[in-house]
Amino acid sequence: MSDETGPIDVEALRDKFLNVVFDEYELTLDAEKLADYATACGETAAKFTDPQDPDFQAPPTIGSSFQPKVRYPEGFPTFRGLGMDAGKAVAPDKPMRPGVPITVRTHMHDIYTKTGRSGRMVFFVNRMEFSNSGEILGTADTSVVIREKPQT
Amino acid sequence: MSINTLDDVEFGENLPAFQPDTSLANVKRFAVAAGWNTPRFTDHEAARREGLPGALVPGIMSQGFLSAMIHRWAPSAEVRLVDTIFRAPCVVDETYHINGVVTDIDEEAGEVEIDLTVTNDAQETRVFGTAKVLIQGTD
Repeated sequence: MSDETGPIDVEALRDKFLNVVFDEYELTLDAEKLADYATACGETAAKFTDPQDPDFQAPPTIGSSFQPKVRYPEGFPTFRGLGMDAGKAVAPDKPMRPGVPITVRTHMHDIYTKTGRSGRMVFFVNRMEFSNSGEILGTADTSVVIREKPQT
Repeated sequence: MSINTLDDVEFGENLPAFQPDTSLANVKRFAVAAGWNTPRFTDHEAARREGLPGALVPGIMSQGFLSAMIHRWAPSAEVRLVDTIFRAPCVVDETYHINGVVTDIDEEAGEVEIDLTVTNDAQETRVFGTAKVLIQGTD
């Protein structure tokens, strides 16, 4: 991983890294842990809290808890700026259920900039996509923002 | 009032707010279930050694609180998006309020948009965002 000291060349990064899957693994959800997850969050519906419920499923935000094994694509540079978590967006499409294999694939979905009074900020959005046997179950985006240090 | 169909939803209505359980025991239960069982979420002293104000409520748990609020309001609602920005940390054992307000109703698509916030007792917003949910129309 190279260490970038100058302004971030956003277009070059987009050309090289967007939409290329850089992490993939499979997981299986555990019913008791799903029930704990939902109950701790304050869910009260049996379909989220009772593994015996015929429609038992993961709470809709579960995808946000999955993490890629690798955080960035191979060869992605590191930057000298202030990096911060800029948010998470989870978009469930189909219920995730315990005992069902789920494939988690991650790609860099977007790189964009915003410029404010304190300078330019660069946002990196990694998207995890969840599927079972090719059927998309949902996505979860994680955004990180780098505030570029002023050039001297 | 519990929402059963899209006709029950009113533009601008506030969802019933609730105070989530942010006790250390409950956050630990969540962290273990989520696979995020690290001291910064489950141990005040360890978190302070990292320079944090105390053990933190994971951001993904705040997302879970917001989703639970939606289901308490509309039990049959199908959550399609929860998009959140973590503006400031939520600290374990402190009191927070989970809030939502209906900002759009798409009757054709059956979709309701909800603005979301997690606030503390000082009315400071710690987390904010948007949800999109599907609610069935009248049969």
